[in-house]
Amino acid sequence: MADSSGHRLFKFPKPQWMTSANTRNAGVYAAGALFSIALFVFIDAATFSKSNLNGSEFHVNFVDWIPGIFSVLGMLIINSIDKSRLSADNFSYSGDGVAWKARVVLFMGFAAMAGGLAGSVTVCLLKYVVREASWPALWFGVANIASNALIMLSSVVLWVSQNMEDDYTYNLAL
Amino acid sequence: MAGLKTIIVLSFILAIGFLLVILSAALYKNFLTLLVVATYVIAPIPNWLCGRASSQDDFMDSGSSSIVELGRFMTGFLVVMGVALPVVLAHCDLIRPEAMVMSIVGGLLIYGTIISFTMFFHQEEEF
Repeated sequence: MADSSGHRLFKFPKPQWMTSANTRNAGVYAAGALFSIALFVFIDAATFSKSNLNGSEFHVNFVDWIPGIFSVLGMLIINSIDKSRLSADNFSYSGDGVAWKARVVLFMGFAAMAGGLAGSVTVCLLKYVVREASWPALWFGVANIASNALIMLSSVVLWVSQNMEDDYTYNLAL
Repeated sequence: MAGLKTIIVLSFILAIGFLLVILSAALYKNFLTLLVVATYVIAPIPNWLCGRASSQDDFMDSGSSSIVELGRFMTGFLVVMGVALPVVLAHCDLIRPEAMVMSIVGGLLIYGTIISFTMFFHQEEEF
């Protein structure tokens, strides 16, 4: 949104509330809330499948968990990276060779997360839609997709809120 | 002292919250909703623990450290879990919908009073 020399990309000025510390904290709480919603949407599908309300022959088993595991791994990788390592500046502690390693790890995190989302769509299509599951058995597939999408959204919110510049912080890049 | 009335009101609301949650379990003879109480009691703990981990006398701090943010993330997770868990249980017919409503309202009251107590006593210390 802005390069390091302070010139913004957009015509409109940056709103005042975007740089306060409270927005940053609210963003972190919101990311936790979204992650919780994601997890419980999927747990709802898994519990429903096991409960006695499930009259169909579709069940949630380990295959349904695999895309979620990849998404969570991707989120962990992406949000554990120290963002100042991504810049290619040669001064301070981003020495030679650290920047591209950080970028490779970030890429693998993004790939894991996108793979999780794509995998959840695949599982939903191949396991439920092709075999013509009707509602509520179709909920197992839809919940899987929704859960992975929400994990991705939570990761985005956490990344954005950790990147917000306070008035008192000195960010070297990004 | 104006603070005494606040304490009395907050304690009353806390008692009502506990009453609602215990009723939601006892009326329908299903003790799964007590998990909500456990969740809401545990919910402020990550925030508190990680707040202790940040440096105490840092007036001009260099932004929130990752540990503090991890604590906030987990607290947000636990607060929403306190609402989402009864919804999941009610959707899967493990508890009654009335028990779900009562335990969500009671749990939010308990959490709200815990937060209010924390803010109230924190402000008292500043004088």
